[in-house]
Amino acid sequence: MRGVLRQYASTGSALLLGTAGLTIFTGVWALAAANLNNEVLLPSPLSVVYTYAELLTDGSLLGDVRASIVRVFAGFFIASSIAVPLALILAYSRVLRGLVMPLIALIRPIPPIAWIPLAILWMGLGDPPSYFITSIAAFFPIFLNSFAGGTSLQQEHVNAARSLGAGPVALLGTVMLPSALPMIVTGLRIGLGQAWMAVVTAELIAAQSGLGYMIQISRLSLETSRVLVGMTVIGLLGAVMIGALGVLERRVIVPWNNPR
Amino acid sequence: MARGTSPNTFRAAQRPAGTPLGHAPHLHVVGAEARSQAESAPRLHLDNVTVRFSSRAVPAVEDISLSIGRGEFVALLGPSGCGKSTLLNVLAGFCSPTQGHVHLDGEPLTAPSAKCGVVFQKHSLFPWMTALDNVAFGPRRLGMPDPRRIAQELLDTVGLGHVANSWPSSLSGGMQQRVGIARALATRPPVLLMDEPFGALDAQTRSLMQEELLSIWDKLRPTVVFVTHDIEEAIFLADRVVVMQAFPGRIAQEFAIPFMRPRSAEIMDSAKFIESRREIADIIRIEARKSFR
Repeated sequence: MRGVLRQYASTGSALLLGTAGLTIFTGVWALAAANLNNEVLLPSPLSVVYTYAELLTDGSLLGDVRASIVRVFAGFFIASSIAVPLALILAYSRVLRGLVMPLIALIRPIPPIAWIPLAILWMGLGDPPSYFITSIAAFFPIFLNSFAGGTSLQQEHVNAARSLGAGPVALLGTVMLPSALPMIVTGLRIGLGQAWMAVVTAELIAAQSGLGYMIQISRLSLETSRVLVGMTVIGLLGAVMIGALGVLERRVIVPWNNPR
Repeated sequence: MARGTSPNTFRAAQRPAGTPLGHAPHLHVVGAEARSQAESAPRLHLDNVTVRFSSRAVPAVEDISLSIGRGEFVALLGPSGCGKSTLLNVLAGFCSPTQGHVHLDGEPLTAPSAKCGVVFQKHSLFPWMTALDNVAFGPRRLGMPDPRRIAQELLDTVGLGHVANSWPSSLSGGMQQRVGIARALATRPPVLLMDEPFGALDAQTRSLMQEELLSIWDKLRPTVVFVTHDIEEAIFLADRVVVMQAFPGRIAQEFAIPFMRPRSAEIMDSAKFIESRREIADIIRIEARKSFR
C-alpha cells in the first residue's frame, strides 16, 4: 500500500517538475518573442496556438500527420521484417556473417539523407522514396541490436534446454528467440525514432504531403508559426510513439526484464 | 603401512593413497572390491575417458574410468582446472570425449537427453519464463501429462510454491538454484548432474541448501554426480568422494563416506567428520604440490 502511494507520489512530482520545466520554457519563449516583435523570425507561443486551431479546423494538419505516420510505419515494417530475420540468421551462421557484415559496415555510415537523390531517381516523387528513406533509417538500429541479441545467447541456456529434451526447433522458438527479444525490442524502439526523424527529411525534399513538406512550404511562404506547428507536432508524436513502444516493451513484450 | 601408499588402493601406481603421517585412515579408500559392486549394474559407466581441447596442450581429462551405481551420490572434488566440470559436461552429453566411452544404463551416451537432469552453477534459469514455466519446460518438451501440476508439485517440494509466478530475476540466488533443482528433477531423470550448484551462494544459504538437497534426494533417490571444490560439502553430501588432480585431470583417489543417512548439519562438528576432512585435504595438498612443480 505504501509502495503504491510512494509510486503515485513520485509520478506526481515528476509530472509537476515536467510541467514547471515546460512552463518556464514557454515563458522565456513568450518574453523573447515580445521583445523581438517579429512574427517571421519568432512567432509568439500564442500565435502558434492560434495556428494550431486554424490548421486543425481546416483538417490540413490531420492530413499531413496521417501521411507522415503512414510513411514511418511503412518504412518501419519493411525495415524490421528484413532486419530481424537477417540479424538472427547472421548471428547463428559464421559463413553468412563473414559474407554480409563487411557490406553492412560500409553501408551503415551513409546517412539516410544521402540516399535521397538515388531514391528520387529510382522512384520519382511521392510515397515510395519516403518508404525507402524511412526503412533505410530504421534498418540499422534494428539490425545491429537484433544481431547483438542473437549473439548474446548463453551457452547455459542452450545446454539446459537440450538436457530437458528440447530439439533444434524447440531450441529456436523457446530459447534463441526469447533470449534475443529484449535487444530486438530495443532496436525496434530506436529504429522507430530514426524512421520518424528520417520521414521529415524525406518529405522536405522528396514528397508533396506530410509534416516535412508542410514545414518546407510554410518556410517558403514565411508562415513561421506553421513551421513551429509542424516542428512541435513532430516532437510530440515522436515522444508519444516511442513512449508507447516503451510501455508495450515493459508490460507485454519483455516483462521479465522489468518485474514489478 | 608405508607412508604415502595404501595396500588397498586401486591402481596404486596412478592413485597414490597418501595416508597422512600420524593418522590412522578413518575413511575407507575405495578399492577393487567396492568398485566391482558398483560395476555389477552401474547407472553410469565411464571407460578410459579422455577429453582434449585443441587450444590446450594438456588434456582437460585423461583416462578416467568410473562406475556410478543406481541411487548413488558421488561427489567429484578437486581444485579448479582438474577437469571435474569437463567430466560433468561429458556425462551430460554437452561435450563428447576425445577417447573412451560413456554408458548410461548400458546405452552409449552421446548427446544431451532428458535422462540426465543438469543443475548449473548459476544464471541458467530461462529469464523469459516464470519459475513455474521454467520447471514445466522439461515435461512440456517430453509431452508429459499436466506439466503445470508437475511443476507446481516440484516447486512445493523445494519450498517455493508461493513464487511459482515470479520471474527468475526477482528471486534470490538461493531461490533461483532451488528452482534450477526443481527444473532438473521435473522430467524424473534417473541421473542428476550438479555443477557447483551452491558455489555462488553465501555460506549460510549454502549450508541450508545442502540439507535441502539431501532431503530432496532422500525422497526421489536419483543418482547424483555433484561437482564441488568444497571438501566439507563433498563429505557431507556424498556416499563416495572422487578426488581429482589437475594437469592433466585424473582421479587421484576415491573415498567411501561412512556417515549414516539421513544426515544433518551436526555431523560436520563430529571428530570423525573433521578427521575425514583432514585426510582428504592431505591428498589434495599432495596432488596439488605435485602438479605445482
